Amino acid sequence: MGVLAKAFDFMTSAANYHGQGGIPTRLWEHVQMSLLSLGIATIIALPVGLLVGHRRRGGFFAITVGNLGRALPSFGILAIVFPLTLRYLHVGSLGFVATLITLILLAIPPIMLNTFVGTREVDRDTIEAARGMGLSGTQILMRVELPLAAPLIVAGLRTAATAVVATATLGALVSWGGLGRFIVDGLAQGDKGQLVAGAVLVASLAVVTEAMFALLQRAISPRTTGSPRRHIRKLIRRPGWGM
Amino acid sequence: MRIFRRSVLGATLVAFVVLATACASGGDNNTKGAAGSSSGTKPSLTVGVSAAFPENQIVAEMYAQVLENAGYKVTTQEDIQSREVSDPALDSGKIDIKPEYLASELLFLDPNAKASGDPQNNADLLKPLLAQKGLDLLTPSAAQDQNAFVTTSDLASKDNLSTVSDLASVASGLTLGGPPECPKRPYCAIGLKKTYGVTFGDFKALSSGTLVAQALQSGDIDVGLLFSTDPTISADNFVLLQDDKGLQSAENITPVVRHDVDTSEVADLLNGVSATLTTDNITGLIAKVALQHQDPAAVAKLFLQDNGLL
Amino acid sequence: MTVAQGSFQQPLILWSWIGDNRAEILHRVIEHVELTAIAVFLGLLISFPLAIYAYRHRRAYGPIAVITGILYTIPSLALFAFLVAYTGLTVTTAEIGLVSYTLLILIRNIVAGLDAVPAEARESATGMGYSRRQLLWRIEIPLALPVIIAGIRIATVTTIGLVTVTAIIGKGGLGHFILEGLLQAFPTAAILGAVLSIVLAVVVDALLLFSERALTPWARARSRA
Repeated sequence: MGVLAKAFDFMTSAANYHGQGGIPTRLWEHVQMSLLSLGIATIIALPVGLLVGHRRRGGFFAITVGNLGRALPSFGILAIVFPLTLRYLHVGSLGFVATLITLILLAIPPIMLNTFVGTREVDRDTIEAARGMGLSGTQILMRVELPLAAPLIVAGLRTAATAVVATATLGALVSWGGLGRFIVDGLAQGDKGQLVAGAVLVASLAVVTEAMFALLQRAISPRTTGSPRRHIRKLIRRPGWGM
Repeated sequence: MRIFRRSVLGATLVAFVVLATACASGGDNNTKGAAGSSSGTKPSLTVGVSAAFPENQIVAEMYAQVLENAGYKVTTQEDIQSREVSDPALDSGKIDIKPEYLASELLFLDPNAKASGDPQNNADLLKPLLAQKGLDLLTPSAAQDQNAFVTTSDLASKDNLSTVSDLASVASGLTLGGPPECPKRPYCAIGLKKTYGVTFGDFKALSSGTLVAQALQSGDIDVGLLFSTDPTISADNFVLLQDDKGLQSAENITPVVRHDVDTSEVADLLNGVSATLTTDNITGLIAKVALQHQDPAAVAKLFLQDNGLL
Repeated sequence: MTVAQGSFQQPLILWSWIGDNRAEILHRVIEHVELTAIAVFLGLLISFPLAIYAYRHRRAYGPIAVITGILYTIPSLALFAFLVAYTGLTVTTAEIGLVSYTLLILIRNIVAGLDAVPAEARESATGMGYSRRQLLWRIEIPLALPVIIAGIRIATVTTIGLVTVTAIIGKGGLGHFILEGLLQAFPTAAILGAVLSIVLAVVVDALLLFSERALTPWARARSRA
């Protein structure tokens, strides 16, 4: 029986839809973890990125965090953090906090980097004009820079979200649940149907996440061709920034 | 100038290709390196080993080292998967030799087999089953390693637990921790239910004995599946629940070899290793790897030298 | 609750272990570099023709971007696990997965780099009678090099991180130590694996940046003018 047929069997057998080992439970665990880690990472990274971009100081720090973040091996972070959480941060189900921390660390760099660059790159003339109109620094940040930087910020959120959904699968290695559970258990038990089913499920979730954020990005991208906006649009298309 | 730049780029790429293909050809296994002699007349052998269990690593290393010492070219194939994968690998010839456990392998091949606490019984039942697949079962060693259900001394005194039967009344409120394949193993979850009527409230998959011990310590699981040779049982003061209904059977460590490569020399070498192993001394070796983080290959080598096999 | 009795009473870094295992560490670093190098090289081999085709035939870019985008989005553990069912626990499985992740970044950057070549440069070249092929190899690609190498840098650093995950299927390079550290509750191994992986990424990134500077001196000269 083909591997894909076995996977189909797994996904269509009613037994796999009951209880805490079932597909809906694992899917929900996975989504919850992704939302939670993305949310916390945004709360940390967004204000920092905005502030550094607005003040135009500390840029080196933001860029270094962004670049170094890409070099961090999530699997390594998880393996190091897990025993530490057992000792010092012993809350939640087994492996939950370790996975959460790893995903937060993964999500911060792209959000911070994109927010910083997006805010910094807002056209100087536009800001001068706003200042001339009497807007304070904070008002400029909230009413001018933030909206203009929004497309790039969303691109950063998109990168972070997809990375988080994908990497949450590693949580299964430290006994947490989520969709990675089917992959790790399937691998250990030699159950190819379960393994491939898990792979397909989490890949689909990742693709859906990517698509949703792509739509969001398109929705908030400016459509007019005014000077500061054209400038921003050119930035979005630059490779290597937020995917 | 421009031409020079391009040719530098081109030359770098070519060098890269050559380097990459040269490295790729040696990429697949952990080659141990032949002991100097020409491997022309002797076949290359692959020993399969699970990276998750030091005991497996140590015994596999012993097999590999005695074979190498006799002039075979040996590679070890290491991964974290279980019998469902290593058995087919043996069948298909991806690996040639692996250390096995009598009763577990017997029940894996025939879930209805009458395994017992007698090693000879299990070996006699297992031999024909393996022969059907072109595999030979060599002489079992005296070293046994069975599934052991352990709990912390705190929980044992709180719930009055000293045998596995004692779990029957409290298990639904407790969490079991063990390898991911436990729910499908007759000596684990399935056997607990059938023989003892024990069904746990929750199960946590933990990929190694050390992780099980760690989870017991932190209170994330209440009962853990460890192997009887695991040194953490005594090191961490766990209580080994007695197998009062005899669920576990004789699990002697025995080499399984593909018939095609099973020459009398290979058999003699591997049986020689088995003859030196006892439950006690293997436990001691495991302690060196698991607790002192010594290298399994080094531990194996020292043992073989001490016993005159190297 | 007091944890860390018996088997878990140990220092964070056991330096003696690192000293004793120098050979194995070197072996794993080399394995890590090999896996990365093969992946990026094969990735370039596949991406270059695809990118040039997409550059010349715009309509092909959309589908190519979508397919490589989906490949990139598939979680690495899922992809490796899926491939194991077909190609087993081999270097091939690891490489198919690793190469897939490089394609999106490489193709995107190669096309973007070619796009960014100023029209005047192209026009003067065609004016001088350059054939399409000469135009591509002598003008467009050299001028696109900074962006292309930027893509190679990102792809390489990403791959170095992903190689650690292949420890699950028996490869792993430095990921082997991370897995060992996790399974044996041995922080030294995990920390060593993670730190060396980061150092490797930083060093390789710097080397690629250096080679970019070496290969495109005109970029710096122009910015100084």
